[in-house]
Amino acid sequence: MGEYIAELNHIHKSFPGVKALDDVSFDLKSGEVLALLGENGAGKSTLVKVLSGVYTKDEGEIKIFGQTVEDLTPKKAQELGIAIIHQELNMCAHLSVAENIFLAREKTHSGILSNREMNKDAAALLARLNIDIDPTTIVGDLAVSKQQMVEIAKALSTNAKILIMDEPTSALTSNEIDDLFKIIRKLKSEGCGIVYISHRLEELQNIVDRVIIMRDGRYITSMDFKDTTMSEIISYMVGREIKEKFPRVTCERGKKIFEVKSLNAGRMVRNVNLELYEGEIVGIAGLMGAGRTETTRAIFGADPKESGQIFVDGREAVIRRPIDAIRAGIVLAPEDRKKDGLCVKLSVEDNIALPNLDLLCSKFGVVDRKKEKTMTDEAVKSLSIKLVSADMDAATLSGGNQQKLVVAKWLARNSRVVMFDEPTRGIDVAAKVEIYSLMNELKKQGIGVLFVSSEMPEIMGISDRILVMCDGKITGEFAAGEATQDLILQYATKFESKYEQKEAI
Amino acid sequence: MENREKQNAWKKLMAIRGMGQVVTVTAGLIVLCIVFAVLNPSFYSGRNVGNLLRQVAPILIIGIGQSYVLITGNIDLSIGSVVGMSCMISATLMTKGMNPWAAMLLTLVLCVGVGVLNGLLVAQCKLPPFIATLGTMTVARGVAQIVNNNYNTDAIGEAAQGYRNLFYYGSTFGLYNTIWIALVLFLGFNFLLSKTRTGRHIYAVGSNIEASKLSGINTDSTTIKVYIVSAFCAGVVGLITSATAGMGTMDAGNMYEMYAVAASVIGGVSTLGGQGLLVGTVVGAAIWGVLQNGLQFAGAPVAMRNIVIGTIVVISVLLDVVIRTGKPKKAKNNTKLVTAQKES
Repeated sequence: MGEYIAELNHIHKSFPGVKALDDVSFDLKSGEVLALLGENGAGKSTLVKVLSGVYTKDEGEIKIFGQTVEDLTPKKAQELGIAIIHQELNMCAHLSVAENIFLAREKTHSGILSNREMNKDAAALLARLNIDIDPTTIVGDLAVSKQQMVEIAKALSTNAKILIMDEPTSALTSNEIDDLFKIIRKLKSEGCGIVYISHRLEELQNIVDRVIIMRDGRYITSMDFKDTTMSEIISYMVGREIKEKFPRVTCERGKKIFEVKSLNAGRMVRNVNLELYEGEIVGIAGLMGAGRTETTRAIFGADPKESGQIFVDGREAVIRRPIDAIRAGIVLAPEDRKKDGLCVKLSVEDNIALPNLDLLCSKFGVVDRKKEKTMTDEAVKSLSIKLVSADMDAATLSGGNQQKLVVAKWLARNSRVVMFDEPTRGIDVAAKVEIYSLMNELKKQGIGVLFVSSEMPEIMGISDRILVMCDGKITGEFAAGEATQDLILQYATKFESKYEQKEAI
Repeated sequence: MENREKQNAWKKLMAIRGMGQVVTVTAGLIVLCIVFAVLNPSFYSGRNVGNLLRQVAPILIIGIGQSYVLITGNIDLSIGSVVGMSCMISATLMTKGMNPWAAMLLTLVLCVGVGVLNGLLVAQCKLPPFIATLGTMTVARGVAQIVNNNYNTDAIGEAAQGYRNLFYYGSTFGLYNTIWIALVLFLGFNFLLSKTRTGRHIYAVGSNIEASKLSGINTDSTTIKVYIVSAFCAGVVGLITSATAGMGTMDAGNMYEMYAVAASVIGGVSTLGGQGLLVGTVVGAAIWGVLQNGLQFAGAPVAMRNIVIGTIVVISVLLDVVIRTGKPKKAKNNTKLVTAQKES
């Protein structure tokens, strides 16, 4: 481990209305993996965007390899040997893998693109990283996890000495994460400095040397990883100790409120049966692509069904479109809040009013502003959404508060069943606990909660009953007490063997 | 052995993004040609084919410019008016006694100026391209009207005969010069788009402008470049128009921006950006011309022609949408098959 290769001193950065970075200092040595930690909105992404030239600092000093650098742009940062893998996928979906890797650094011979050479180099690079992708494939045709690997390859192709990874593993499968860690260790031994941002604290122990913790746009502390513990890290991140990671309330199990009978919708939802009782939270566990999201969407009427019956309070509900489900009292808080859950360019108030306009409008279709405001105020208060004003765009809220907003818009109408799809993805520890409490609150009110999650501790900590899905089918069901991670995983990988299928024919 | 080589060549061709649709549309074009030939055998007379190609040329040229802009995910509504501006400015200068070639160059420079303005408005001022070019469209039409005090010009006269021959009346190696101009522009701009760094950046910006910026592409200059190309192409079409009529007409190029969109879209250029081939624009423009010419030959009235062509534009885009979104439906059928098998 060697000299400092990147130093940021007393950096300030403001956006209209927000102080994103407040006197933050940061350093990175060659040959180390540095975890930059903090809750959502702590300023980690802003900080690395300053370091990679995407944002310009308001004040402060940037030193790269000991040299003070002014006016850093993405291009200049790249030339200096800084590469960043952004949190959101940043690929040109219409271009090929090789074209993306060499974007803005195309190889030419007397002005003509030399595609053959670039394809060859890209193939060599991918092979070196043990990534099995043909460089001429169109990126848009790849699975998300493969796209992420391409993005990593692209960053590495610049021969960067300073590599920044913002949540690199969120879309990867465990094998790919293993490969990524191998790559990281190799780069480390070659003397690269790596900044690693992740919410998945459990991953850190495999690779990290040092942690820097940020909170509310400020630098909090820097520690060697081996001298600290997870709970110490979390308490620095949150600024207080979190007593209960998974708060649990016990309720009497009441009458059956919701039932799905032999639901079929495409390849990912096959003969699904499930029941939901008053006073319980049912979790759906499974691996990515097990058909959990598809199941919630099919129930909600967002995707067409082939067959199946849905009952609410014993009465059959015919659901063809989402409006049918909403009228029947079934609502969905979808996985991708920004894409499916909210109109991010509309205000908080508009978002809450949107599905409830039937309640808010007069006979002639005019919106009753007073009613709208009351509804918003109540929702914001009951979910303790933190906001400056309800007129602000939904996009300006933090991840956790956006998630609450997605739920808030449904609570204004007396729904019977609330389905959550990955409600805590990408939000920080404290906000997670608030979402759990919200689910518990619904449970106490006798509303059925159906909850899809890929995080096992969360599924086991919050649900009263756990359903496990694999390959579009429900393969197992457990009470909260009897489920273990191993057991869930065993059922989550219970693929039908091809042999049995043959026999059936 | 030979067969395999043929297959490989075909595979290689189809591996080019968007070539599939170009092939489909080309098949449509061939069918159209056959239909019109059956309806009226003189459709295939050498003279009509030459005329037809000369009619198609301006649509192709302006379509090339619009395709460039569409591939970056923007649109240029001003080009029809730029055609008018180019037509009026060139003719006015010539009637005022300017050397035709100097007038031609000056006109092109002014047209490119409109392109720069469009590019700056969209790239630097971040105006929505639809609004920005709607504004410059109106301004450019106003300029076309004002250059000769709101009158069409007189005939551009004897001195400009060479100019008129170059852009319309003359022919070289048996093909009208207009067709040669379109061919040269197509080859040049196709090379720029498919073989050079600038071309790659144009696709990248249309595919994902944020990713392009973060990769170090100067997205603003890329955007400005495509607007320059489209304004330049429109300028050339304006010159062809003034050469054809031998005078300047204020409403020259009216609706051409839409014809350009039609040629691009029929040929498979995506209005959402990131996708499209200029070969497609050639076929799109050809379909346009064949329909105009063929319906005329078949004796259809103008109104009928408009209805048919408009319908074809909508259908070709619809086909594209169906082809693209048709994929998941296929997957679903497969599942049904699987479940059916199981039940048996």
